[in-house]
Amino acid sequence: MSKTMQRRTFLKRTALAGVATIAAPYILPSGRLFASTGNRIANHVVFCLFAGGVRNIESVDMQRGNLMPRSFSGAGSVASNIAAGMDPLPNFGGASLQSQGTLFREFRYVQGPTGHFNGHSTALTGNYTLQDLSIKEAPKMPTIFEYYRKHNSPTQNALNAWWISNSLGPYPSLNFSTYPGYGALYGANYMQPLTLISEDGLSALSNPQNFSSAETNQISSLRNFFNDRFPKASQANNASIENGMLDRDPVQNFIQQELITASNGAYIDPWSLGTSMNSDMYNVLFTERIIQTFKPELTVVNMQGVDICHSNFTEYCNNLRKADYAVGHLWDTIQNTPGMANDTILIVAPEHGRNLQANTILDQFGNAALDHTSDATSREIFCMVVGPQGMVQQNQIITQVTGESIDIVPTISHILGFRDDIPGGMLNGRILNEAFV
Amino acid sequence: MKNLLALFILLIVFTSCKKETEYIYEVNDVQVRQDATGKGFPKSTIEFLSIAYSDIYGNTISQNQLNRLSLLYLAFGDKKLLEDLLIKNMINRPEALLPSNQTMRADVDLFVVNAYQKLYNRSPNELEVFTLKKNINENAQMTSVVVYYAMMTSDEYRYY
Repeated sequence: MSKTMQRRTFLKRTALAGVATIAAPYILPSGRLFASTGNRIANHVVFCLFAGGVRNIESVDMQRGNLMPRSFSGAGSVASNIAAGMDPLPNFGGASLQSQGTLFREFRYVQGPTGHFNGHSTALTGNYTLQDLSIKEAPKMPTIFEYYRKHNSPTQNALNAWWISNSLGPYPSLNFSTYPGYGALYGANYMQPLTLISEDGLSALSNPQNFSSAETNQISSLRNFFNDRFPKASQANNASIENGMLDRDPVQNFIQQELITASNGAYIDPWSLGTSMNSDMYNVLFTERIIQTFKPELTVVNMQGVDICHSNFTEYCNNLRKADYAVGHLWDTIQNTPGMANDTILIVAPEHGRNLQANTILDQFGNAALDHTSDATSREIFCMVVGPQGMVQQNQIITQVTGESIDIVPTISHILGFRDDIPGGMLNGRILNEAFV
Repeated sequence: MKNLLALFILLIVFTSCKKETEYIYEVNDVQVRQDATGKGFPKSTIEFLSIAYSDIYGNTISQNQLNRLSLLYLAFGDKKLLEDLLIKNMINRPEALLPSNQTMRADVDLFVVNAYQKLYNRSPNELEVFTLKKNINENAQMTSVVVYYAMMTSDEYRYY
């Protein structure tokens, strides 16, 4: 009996050791057996925050006509009481984004104040924020960029993750959080193009000293000597993301190239729209340049021109049309970019809506302006998931209340194949499975 | 006896090679090095920009220029990359007042001491003087711009 037990134990342990010997080379540093990247739906996600506060009434409900013909199907002409305030845009006869994906008509921003930074934070962290959110601080919960870079095997470099905002203010701080174990180390490249690609940028950044490769080696050797003698980590007070050594030159070259292109006049009217080009469109233009240059796996871009609605309803509608045009242009660029075409899923959603009741300000056409102060209507938004056939359900409209802002982060992590690697308890939203084949 | 020997071997095999448990706490690695500089405070963005401007051009940056550079600084996320690009542009302008190569090679000791005092706000120790002198003297390609650029993009330059 004793001999039998010993033999069994021996055989069991030998078998376990054998399995371990075979599996060990495939166990990743993270402790997982297989890389998460094997379970992706697509290799690229572009999330367009159709921000600034957009009501369903003017977007999917089309109560002022179809102001977003590139996004939504429908031939309704622009309402007569705003038509005179619309800048000319080229007619669009192609397939709407809605027809190339799934539209959640009744999406919700359920909790927290309907403030722009709250809405952005929620969309990028997958967690609602409350009144105490500080606009001078990075979010407390990890952003989608950090989840993406940390929970991929191997971990992804910063060139693969970009956050492009159309204004400064608190938005630069949304590329990483203060959450322990995440933070700047896993943050995204951030850019606010309208400030960087400017006269000041041209003056300060476009004509650098060029060093030969021999000089570069000398610099590296000297800098290592200096840094080895200085124990503090650089940037302690200005914690920022850092691109790897090999990625710095391409990024610097990109900035220089864009500055030179701008100085040559190529960005005066890049989409041939005359005077209709606004800051949202420029923000999308430089997002397209980033996409064409780096083909990032995760890109987030926002637009905020519609927030003029606090004082000018007609201009809000005008900017809504321009933002719609920009999103369509972005999708066309993605489809014309090798490496991104047919391998990218675009998600579009406002950060929050606007109030049902107007304020007291009338524009020149007699239309009353709208704020966003957390009433029920300001929580009603749409969300659209657009992508290739075989990945995303085509031409699907979900009309009942389905999905909320905190679902976008889990959905992106699902598309890029790392949802199961995010520790439990970090995200309360769900994957928008209805959108996928 | 054979059984005892087999048991002994098995005991060694299954107990002596037990892998140590590695606990991972969610904090970033910290490299511990000796600090001989006495500097404990990182420069703010405004301090960094205005000090770099003074070090390169020998005069004070105007408030207007400082505001404009600060905005540029906010507009890009990788601060180290942007600082590097800013410094490379600053030293490439004709009004940059960096010592010439002739000045450097005419008195390397003096160049090193002056560079440390100007950029690091301290005197170099013997090892630092020796190392820089050696690098400059043994390398005809080493220029004053290379030395200044390397110092201004080092970690110590970010502190005071």
